Amino acid sequence: MKPVRKKRLQTVLLILASSALGSFFIIRALDSNLDFFYTPSEIFLEEIPENKRIKIGGMVLENSVIREKTKISFIVSDYQGSINVEFDGIVPDLFKEGSGVVVLGYLKDKTIIAEEVLAKHDENYMPPSIDIEK
Amino acid sequence: MIIEAAQFLTILATGLFFLCFVFSIFFNVNDVNIIKLISRIYSHSFFLFLSSFLIYVWLAINDNFSVLYIAQHSNTNLPVFYKISSIWSAHEGSMFLWIIFLSLWGAIYNFSVHNNEPLKARTVGVISITTVGFLLFLLLTSNPFETILPLPPENGADINPVLQDPLLAIHPPTLYLGYVGFVIAFGQAIAFLIEGNSSINWEKQVRFWSIIAWSFLTLGITLGSWWAYYELGWGGYWFWDPVENVALMPWLAATAFIHSLSASSKSSILRIWTILLSILVFSLSLFGAFIVRSGIIDSVHSFANDPERGLYLLAFIGILVMTSLILFSYRFTILISNKRIVSLSKESFISINNIFFGTLIFSTMLGVMYPLIYEFIYDQKISVGAPFYNAIFVPITLLACLFLLFSIESKWQSKLKFAFLNNPLIISFVFSLFITFLSFKFYSVSRAWTLASLFIGSLIISRYILVIYAYIFQRKFVNIYSVLAHLGLGLLIISIALNNDFSSERAMNIKINETETYKNHEITFNNLQLTEGPNYESVKADFIIENKNGNKFSLNPEKRKYFVRGQITTETAIHASLLKDIYLTIGDQLDDGSWIVNVQFNYFIRWIWFSATLMIISGLFLARSLNRVQS
Repeated sequence: MKPVRKKRLQTVLLILASSALGSFFIIRALDSNLDFFYTPSEIFLEEIPENKRIKIGGMVLENSVIREKTKISFIVSDYQGSINVEFDGIVPDLFKEGSGVVVLGYLKDKTIIAEEVLAKHDENYMPPSIDIEK
Repeated sequence: MIIEAAQFLTILATGLFFLCFVFSIFFNVNDVNIIKLISRIYSHSFFLFLSSFLIYVWLAINDNFSVLYIAQHSNTNLPVFYKISSIWSAHEGSMFLWIIFLSLWGAIYNFSVHNNEPLKARTVGVISITTVGFLLFLLLTSNPFETILPLPPENGADINPVLQDPLLAIHPPTLYLGYVGFVIAFGQAIAFLIEGNSSINWEKQVRFWSIIAWSFLTLGITLGSWWAYYELGWGGYWFWDPVENVALMPWLAATAFIHSLSASSKSSILRIWTILLSILVFSLSLFGAFIVRSGIIDSVHSFANDPERGLYLLAFIGILVMTSLILFSYRFTILISNKRIVSLSKESFISINNIFFGTLIFSTMLGVMYPLIYEFIYDQKISVGAPFYNAIFVPITLLACLFLLFSIESKWQSKLKFAFLNNPLIISFVFSLFITFLSFKFYSVSRAWTLASLFIGSLIISRYILVIYAYIFQRKFVNIYSVLAHLGLGLLIISIALNNDFSSERAMNIKINETETYKNHEITFNNLQLTEGPNYESVKADFIIENKNGNKFSLNPEKRKYFVRGQITTETAIHASLLKDIYLTIGDQLDDGSWIVNVQFNYFIRWIWFSATLMIISGLFLARSLNRVQS
């Protein structure tokens, strides 16, 4: 190959290789940091590892809220399934029994250990949408 | 009647703006009379449009609830200030404001740039057609002038209490001023491409406008971040919410753009980059409007879901971007510079950092759009959280900072030569190593990323301090405003890293007259009282905080209930000091009478605001100095 061609080929290969490498790292970072969204009825259908952060959404079941010092536990339900949630901290102003909630946390012994609790304003709230008001 | 009149003024203005565009395309724009004509039509239509807006403001102040939008978002009980700001508290009105600012930038440009500037008429034309696009959007899909006749309601529905805050009243206007301010750069770039005369130095003309717009954008984002910090009660300043991200993308592009501008206003080497970036910045601003206003992505900030609006905006942005890119490729040959970028020159470092900025923009875009794509393909709801953005932003920003350091040493169009002895870079290297070591050894900073950020932040700061020293004492010529802005960057990196490393919080359970201890601070719940504000009632707690030196102060977090909507909000109480904020929020009362209280120690948060302020002020001064050079 002529030197000019060789140089051009090298440039093209270099650009392709570096973009591929960059994209690889970005996609990998993306894939390992996705928070999957489940409803209470879906959550036990598949194996979710303990160290995987997930989001669940549903209604706070009536009469399920138990407070113990700064800890609060409640049941999130979508009327087909339900799951227990534990949280340490202040729940949002709009949090109340019978209204919508989104919880971000980890699944452990069939309970969600919550990092964040977000409440939804709308009374007619149904899971997937996550319009947050904390 | 007056409402119809205001609407008519807007329609009339739309027509005239369109006329401007038509004239700028089909008439000979080198004819001074034509330029004068276009310029005059623009001014007149701007004043018609502005009067329409002022009438609207007047209607809002006077509680004219026959206007549907005002009835939905204002209330007689509101102070006048919030009656005005209620205009931009929801979709229609904020779009109105957005377009006012868009045409205002055009008007200022039109007024201050001399008629014999080569690109003026076409730039005004491009700004006009962009304005027309948005005005049609406003009138066809989101008409703020819609009325409730014949029976207007007695009172309005009030604005959302969390928006009743002075800062939030000024955050959207500043942010919008930033977003749409780039219309001038965009307009000039397109005008330059249409003109096709590579000898015109459009970069030089556009720098002033772009740096002002950048400053406003930075200010708008900072104000939003500050508001979120004290109002939402989460104690954070950035949440990687989709709507924050769509403001960050144009900011990143704009930052890359103003850097490329400074390179290509000196020689036209980076012209291709600069043109592309000017198109990118404005498109990303518009993309932000699309994301927020289509409701396509769930977010705290987004307005109601409306596919029709989304579709219109998407089509509009699509046409604008496609036309620009077609024009760009058509004129590609005149953009190519016959000079090559010298390796290790200032241009080369700016180019490398452009690639980094591009990567950050791409990643942010991916994070915003991925949930949509993923759901479409796999039918599974996901969200992309902060860890993703941190994983990308931290290493790339630090890497880009290293190239920034080299670019300080380098010169335009010549190869960087390292002089190892007596090199200021060596001095700041040693200094930063020392600082990092001290923090590791004595202040228990141990996380690798914090140490790395601390090291690189100190490198930037110390290196720039040496530059400032040379500027003052050795009369070395430097662009001092740019130096100060980069000093802000160094500080920002350090403050973010330390804030992340040191901040902590604890929820506690406390009764009146009890005392809890947290990190050497005694927190006493003194008292609780019911008070009433102009349009809310509130529970106000009184806490006495005493630190180990015996200094006492009180903090009064509140919970408010607003009368009109019955909405409850939490008002945080913050005690700010140089190093840390003590940040208190109250939660619910338990059955035994105790309250849940959240205490946060947020370190270096003031430094974050200070760094941003330094960047903004330096930006404004830089623009001012450029303007002086120009005239």
